[in-house]
Amino acid sequence: MKCPRCDSEKTRTMVKSPVGDVWEVFVCENCWYSWRSTETPVVIEKFKLTDEIIATLGVIPPIPPLDI
Amino acid sequence: MAKTYKDLREFLATLEEEGQLVRVKEEVNPEPDIGAAGRAASRVPNGPAVLFEKIKGYKGQVVTNVHGSWQNHALMMGMPKDTSTKAQFEELNRRWDKFPIPPNVVTRDEAPCKQNTMSEDINLFEVLPLYRINEQDGGFFISKASVVSGDPEFPDDFNKQNVGTYRIQVKDKDRLGIQALAMHDIAVQLEKAERKNERLPIAIALGNTPLVTFMASTPVGYSQNEYEFVGALQDGVPTDIVKADTAPHLFVPAGAEVVLEGYIIPRVRVVEGPFGEFPGSYSGARLQCEVQITHITYRTDPIFENLYLGMPWTEIDYLMALNTSVPLYKQIKESFPEVVAVNAMYSHGIGVIISTKCRYGGYAKGVAMRLLSTPHGMPYSKIVIIVDEYVDPFNLEQVMWALTTRVQPSKDVTLIENAAGMPLDPSSYPAGMTTKMIIDATTPVPPEPNPRTVELLKDPVDTEKYIAIIRDLQKAMEDK
Ligand SMILES: [Zn+2]
Repeated sequence: MKCPRCDSEKTRTMVKSPVGDVWEVFVCENCWYSWRSTETPVVIEKFKLTDEIIATLGVIPPIPPLDI
Repeated sequence: MAKTYKDLREFLATLEEEGQLVRVKEEVNPEPDIGAAGRAASRVPNGPAVLFEKIKGYKGQVVTNVHGSWQNHALMMGMPKDTSTKAQFEELNRRWDKFPIPPNVVTRDEAPCKQNTMSEDINLFEVLPLYRINEQDGGFFISKASVVSGDPEFPDDFNKQNVGTYRIQVKDKDRLGIQALAMHDIAVQLEKAERKNERLPIAIALGNTPLVTFMASTPVGYSQNEYEFVGALQDGVPTDIVKADTAPHLFVPAGAEVVLEGYIIPRVRVVEGPFGEFPGSYSGARLQCEVQITHITYRTDPIFENLYLGMPWTEIDYLMALNTSVPLYKQIKESFPEVVAVNAMYSHGIGVIISTKCRYGGYAKGVAMRLLSTPHGMPYSKIVIIVDEYVDPFNLEQVMWALTTRVQPSKDVTLIENAAGMPLDPSSYPAGMTTKMIIDATTPVPPEPNPRTVELLKDPVDTEKYIAIIRDLQKAMEDK
């Protein structure tokens, strides 16, 4: 199954519904997008991710240098 | 003595008695129902809290819009639900001065939040009916948590313990993303831990007595303890707290519905977002911190309290309205006792209206600059309007009157370029840098010239009397 946001195949089931077998939540291990099987996820163009975009995302908060 | 609530459940009971909580008894889907109801509730006049009793695939209940109207806000403070915004502001100010009221530390056995424990095979979904709030959110978010963390340098200093609200994304059954912006208290603590490559223990309390949630989203000084403020705002009644199980130096609200315990993983940042944010737009994906959850305690049949945020006004705008206004008022008032009231209700204080008496020419501008040098006002406040002391800053008709009849833009509008801004404000560029605007809508006082002085209109004698007469006549018609 492809990730709706980054098209990666590295997706898996995160969890199944605690009551009944009525839905599953999937997660992408490349971009950490998650969605429920009962949804039809539509990620708009602006929020699509590629490996290049992920590599240049802002870091919040910045990681400080290690104390020596 | 004002009415106070030991926990969320007591408050929900009062809301229901007052007609400010509705129950959805039919089973609903997690998406889009819960988000849609949160959106809808803040559009309805006197918006009630909405409690979902059955959610498809989940065990527990969800409540949203608990703080989402001035009626609910007044009831939170134990005041009549029709209390005006300005009167609520004034009452908050009065109680604020009771700080500090030390909290009451209870034993583990006495704390309802410890009724059940999950310490292995952690699965957040077993305890919390998690859902997507807005369509383009990158996952399911916890938007109304009170996050407790300590200062690694002074772990036993209760005053440096922080209780704050940060947005949280569910990344896995036992893992969360958390947004710690550099300007927030938790970022100060995290930096100390990360410099030593150490974990920062945290406890995330969900479903709290309403003034705990209120204080968690209030900007107070780094060494001011939020629980001591809760006691003050409860008009002197201490709030109950209990030690966290895995980090005994951290204290959590004893009546919390659910407490998630764990730690921020040091020196790791992972994709988080987008998330529909309080300025009414999505903030995009960024690399942010992650929390490993190792331990959960919860009340029997826990209620998951979460809020909707979107195009203002929504629940978050009510929650962050007066709790942004009051601390700013207190800080400015210290230097300028002429200040009458501060309305910082617009996008968490990005827009602020201050009413003040002006002691000498240029006074209004000085008051505005004091706002812009407070810890919260410096990054957040961008549009600052100063009005005369007789203008009610919570009454936008009056504020527009001052803008239209008191402002000569060529001299009364001041721009301060290249100043600190709020990164989530999409007009700040680069994110976090902005231009401030001060609008002096006060009447000039010497030595500033005022070449066209005017005589202000006064209400005719007996206006007050006629307000009462007209109101009674109107009521008599309604009763017919
Ligand atoms: Zn992906």
